[in-house]
Amino acid sequence: MVSKQRGNSSQRFYVVLALVAVVGAIFIVRAARAPRAIANVTTAPITAAQAEGYLMGNPNAPVQIMEFADFECPACGNFAVITEPDVRNRIVNTGLASYRFFDFPLPMHKNTMAASNAAACAADQGKFWEMHDELFRNQPEWNGEATDDPKKFFLGYVKSLGMNTDTWEKCFDSQAHRSRILANQAEGNRRKIQSTPTFVIGTRLIPGAMSYDVFKAYVDSAAKEAPPVAAKPDSAATSGPTKGATKGATK
Amino acid sequence: MSRRQTLALLAVVGVCIALYLTLYKIGVIGVLSCSIGSCETVNTSKWSTLLGLPIAAWGLGAYVALLLLAMVGSGAREESVSISRLIVALASWSVLFSAWLTYQELFVIRAICIWCVSSALLWVLIFAVSVVDLRAVSRAG
Repeated sequence: MVSKQRGNSSQRFYVVLALVAVVGAIFIVRAARAPRAIANVTTAPITAAQAEGYLMGNPNAPVQIMEFADFECPACGNFAVITEPDVRNRIVNTGLASYRFFDFPLPMHKNTMAASNAAACAADQGKFWEMHDELFRNQPEWNGEATDDPKKFFLGYVKSLGMNTDTWEKCFDSQAHRSRILANQAEGNRRKIQSTPTFVIGTRLIPGAMSYDVFKAYVDSAAKEAPPVAAKPDSAATSGPTKGATKGATK
Repeated sequence: MSRRQTLALLAVVGVCIALYLTLYKIGVIGVLSCSIGSCETVNTSKWSTLLGLPIAAWGLGAYVALLLLAMVGSGAREESVSISRLIVALASWSVLFSAWLTYQELFVIRAICIWCVSSALLWVLIFAVSVVDLRAVSRAG
């Protein structure tokens, strides 16, 4: 009798346990599969600038890589800090591929446009990639939830990178590169980018951050395919990289 | 439902929370559902990783360990004092660690992550149940 009661109690326990686990699993799977925020399709005039991104490495490398990222997105930050150093050292610097960064500012991140602006102004002084690294490394201190005044943090990075502060500030305050950033974003929208980071490696569009090994496998696969320049932006967007960005990239 | 079964149930809830935060941290989940507080600020801060692993992953390990102990210790082995002691030790350490993390959130990062606070409260509850369990088992022994 006692044993039967214990058996019933155990059964009830396992049912409740399974229910809790299933509810949790459904919540997590839905969160993982939910479409990530889509960038605003801007109506601002973007004809003045071309979606050229910021180039690192040899533009004629066998494989072209494009990254669409938001400076305030944590997954982009993780990729930039953890995986990208290996990608630069072992793929870009060895000439296997070139790498272009495209701004893809998401509407829910209130300081991301300022960060794209800060990086674009750093590119004028040949320090795009250095600024890119500072922004991603220090994301916790300047992101939209942490501060309403990201500029004071950006200024700190500008000084530490040895840039001309006055020139950078003039560029930043006037939003001199806004049309360039919007052009990069528009290129992402044209390619139907749904989440950040998203990569175009050769002919493949791959959403989400990934480990170095997976990244390298995509590059190797793209290297075997022809034509090797498939990931290059359209002709309207393929004008050469800014000198500054290239210089900063290949240090 | 027995005390150990209650602990197992709480552990499963904890596994779900910790897994959710871990998947966010490694980029599988894009945006945290965070109606209260500033989950992103907390989970991108430098206190969100420990020894190269996301804090949430350590939490996940602790919850899985608790689940295993509670499952092994339920049923016929309900009266095992050593398992009760292990659970109390795990819960004590986790409560202290959660308290330190909550302190960092409130006074250093100055942002609150509702999922992290939920996990901290869950450990307090687990600790309370584990102490009741240990006392009952010790008395029976």
